[in-house]
Amino acid sequence: MRALEPSHTATVASRDVAINYEVYENSGPTILLIPPSPITHSRIYKAQVPFLARHYRVVTFDGRGNGRSGRPVGASRHGREENVADILAVLNASETEKAVLVAHCHANWWAIDLAAAHPDRVVGLVAISPGIPYLGRPHEHWSEVAPRWRSHLENPTGWDLFNREVIVTGLERWVGFFFESQLVEPHSTKQLEDAVSWALETTGEILADSEEAQDLDLPTRQEIASQVAALDKPVLVIHGDRDVCQHVDKGRAFAEAVSGEFQLVADAGHLVAGRDPVKVNHLIEQFVDATTGVKMKSRTWSRGLGRKKKALYISSPIGLGHARRDLAIVEELRHVEPDLQVDWLAQDPVTQVLDQAGESIHPASRWLASESGHIASEASGHDLHCFQALRRMDEILLANFMLFQEVVEEGAYDLIVADEAWDVDHFWHENPELKRGSHVWLTDFVGFIPMPEGGPEEAYLTTDYNAEMIEHIARFPRIRDRAIFVGNPDDIYPETFGDGLPKIRDWTEDHFAFSGYITGFTPPDADEVAGIRHDLGFEDGEKVCVVTVGGSGVGQDLLEKVIAAYPMAKAQMPELRMIAVAGPRIEPESLPTHPGLEIHGYVDRLYRHLSVCDLAVVQGGLTTTMELAAAGRPFLYFPLRNHFEQNFHVRHRLGQYGAGTYMDYSATEPEALADAIVTHVGEKVDYRPVETDGAARAAAMIAELI
Amino acid sequence: MRAAYPDTAGTLERDGTRLGYEIYGGGEPTLLLLPTWTIVHTRFWKMQIPYLARHYRVITYDGPGNGRSDRILDPERYTSDAYAADALAVLDECHAESAVVAGLSLGAQYGVALATMAPERVSGLIMIGPALPLTPQSHERSSIAERFPEPYPDDVSGWGKYNLAYWHDHYADFVEFFFSQCFSEPHSTKPIEDAVGWALETDSHVLGAQSTHPGPEPDWAMKLASLRCPTLVIHGTHDRIQPYERGAKAARLSGGTLLTMEGSGHIPNARDPVKVNLAIRDFIERLPT
Repeated sequence: MRALEPSHTATVASRDVAINYEVYENSGPTILLIPPSPITHSRIYKAQVPFLARHYRVVTFDGRGNGRSGRPVGASRHGREENVADILAVLNASETEKAVLVAHCHANWWAIDLAAAHPDRVVGLVAISPGIPYLGRPHEHWSEVAPRWRSHLENPTGWDLFNREVIVTGLERWVGFFFESQLVEPHSTKQLEDAVSWALETTGEILADSEEAQDLDLPTRQEIASQVAALDKPVLVIHGDRDVCQHVDKGRAFAEAVSGEFQLVADAGHLVAGRDPVKVNHLIEQFVDATTGVKMKSRTWSRGLGRKKKALYISSPIGLGHARRDLAIVEELRHVEPDLQVDWLAQDPVTQVLDQAGESIHPASRWLASESGHIASEASGHDLHCFQALRRMDEILLANFMLFQEVVEEGAYDLIVADEAWDVDHFWHENPELKRGSHVWLTDFVGFIPMPEGGPEEAYLTTDYNAEMIEHIARFPRIRDRAIFVGNPDDIYPETFGDGLPKIRDWTEDHFAFSGYITGFTPPDADEVAGIRHDLGFEDGEKVCVVTVGGSGVGQDLLEKVIAAYPMAKAQMPELRMIAVAGPRIEPESLPTHPGLEIHGYVDRLYRHLSVCDLAVVQGGLTTTMELAAAGRPFLYFPLRNHFEQNFHVRHRLGQYGAGTYMDYSATEPEALADAIVTHVGEKVDYRPVETDGAARAAAMIAELI
Repeated sequence: MRAAYPDTAGTLERDGTRLGYEIYGGGEPTLLLLPTWTIVHTRFWKMQIPYLARHYRVITYDGPGNGRSDRILDPERYTSDAYAADALAVLDECHAESAVVAGLSLGAQYGVALATMAPERVSGLIMIGPALPLTPQSHERSSIAERFPEPYPDDVSGWGKYNLAYWHDHYADFVEFFFSQCFSEPHSTKPIEDAVGWALETDSHVLGAQSTHPGPEPDWAMKLASLRCPTLVIHGTHDRIQPYERGAKAARLSGGTLLTMEGSGHIPNARDPVKVNLAIRDFIERLPT
């Protein structure tokens, strides 16, 4: 899922080619993002758009030959003039009188062409990794392979892949090599996947034509010199010193030629806007504000000693379990610090819980891109590949981090509590100079574990992500002022972070404090159980099985399977009653009915049902299963397929408490499920007790920081 | 020892008065730090100059009556237009075509007068705790102007000390009282000591001349509304000299930005210099190029 959808999208015909553009409406100056076509398209700016669109009007487009624009063939249709005409057509069609241009790589050549021909349409230029002919020294590998462009090469490798025949017949070989060479930064797997997939949306023929078009229409040295001399617009050049496409000297020479600002990004490669998006976004913002004279906003600053203590709490919106435990922690924190002001940066469904509890939700929360919506969009059937879903959430996490950073810069918070707020922790380690306040990191699992069916490829990725996290913390121990593992050392999955990396448990014990588990409620005792059963209308002698699949639409398949098992179980055990909770995203009417089976869309205070039932059938999420463990109820749990947290971390932890019966969804037919229900319903359990002081312990650790 | 010394220090003469000025640094743009009520001289900017001069060319000068300027006793020499004319002469002397201009308290009047008189010379205006009578004065200070020329009672206290005869008899006591009011923030001993020291470099006669208003009050609201340059107003909510509402209104009338300093007094540039320095820098960096 994207972090932000455009206000409108349309196409404009430019020299008989349909050019697709998108507009993110807003007041203030317009920013036009120009992609270096056709090797990529507008999505190259995916890390910029949500942030910039919150502050300015943003226009993006796909250049000819890629994305949702036309695919003209022939070098004559990919020249400089055509591309500049496309940009102008987009400005006109989007009714943009003038814009700040942001261009990447060779698109900067078109940008200065446009500025020369239509100076009144251009306010300024942010040139990212620019390459303008004659300005600065190009990399030698380009001139070395140029003479062999049209040759037939036997088994070419490396830069020799820049060859017409290779590109036309095996585009993926060239773009794979090219982008792998450009992403010099470690841990760039996602950026590499993105760049290659966008490049493969064009054809080798078109890419080769566009390369040849550059030579057909090459400006003279004098033309470039006069264009550059006439460019009297503010220019900011952003260039990585390890760029192997456009040598950093080219960016520096361009900045000098136009008396522009030069921002070197040390240790960065060609795709700096995608790989270091926080820095690049802030640079663009500063440039646009300075160039367009955007007024400072009125604001309040409070003298230090006069300030009330303030905390910003970020509760992961994926699942509702975090909200409940975070509320429990805050309640305990208020016992220690009664005057602490707590603001929540939170989104649906967490906000529903917070609203009910009367908590203060920061108004910026409405700008958050939906993380739970993304996760729901990634699930299908009883399957959620949550590691890949998290990777594909990169632009949403970035968009939310950019917002978070504005909130903490304005809010003067003493304390930031991030309960699995991956964006905060990751991007503060990536941009450590941005840290504000004390930072408490909370999590209930450590380490991405590959699913076996993902094979070595997935193991490579999880190892890489784990390695990056370990390196972050080793390099910047000052970013996490306290890391709290919601659980005990024995709960940690007994594996390593991957080849060559430490054991998860050893590392976690070295880097975390342990609060014990936090349920957020006290389980009922035997008398209370009887009372609640009575209140809920459970008859004596009745065996009640509660089925719940959480709040997302992911649970439909499990629900159907349990319902299919019900008549068989009922035949074996007539006193069996089943209460199935479909949740807000599943229509109860869409499910089959049987006598003795009740299906509800929503059940008020579901935890009461769970805490007194004779058996629960649930997915493998930590919160619900641990609730059942704490209440001492028998339960069958079905981890979602490909969900590493449910399959490894949660399962291991439940094992520590001796709680629940693991079930494999795909291997369990309704008959077997019916047998399992009959076997386990009403079963006496002997779980290890779940601690009840977790919230207080976590709060005590947090309170030390304020 | 000072944190920064001027690159150039000189004097110029305007309308028969010698004014001492200083230039620090050489960056772009030029920032002119105006004088204020002459009870203090240019050193009240001491927490701004070293930082800002690293980025900009900073010009400061002493207004008539204190520091290195002549101790003039003619009230006409202390009108806002006279101050604006001084500022223009300083800009000319320093070959500054235009400048960002900052003024504290009465200095805001001088800045507005300058921007009205020579709009092309002012690219941005910063007003800190502006003494612009746009909203009513606080209860304690509401009638001090009327009582100013009168004899003072034996049991005078508080703002009753804002009295010419009292100044002549007990100048140092008035000055200490005044700055204790300016710095309403706890733990302000050093800024108070500084300001009192600078006040003692002039005397009650000079201060009396400046505080005797010779003409009608200009229409500040109209002047603010017709300003062409961006403005920034910085005002403390605990300002006991100029009510916070005055700054808020000045920002509104001039279409400018308001930085509210919660808990700050009248001279936040001395008491909360880091925040004020950064706000000035931020304002200048955002000015249209």
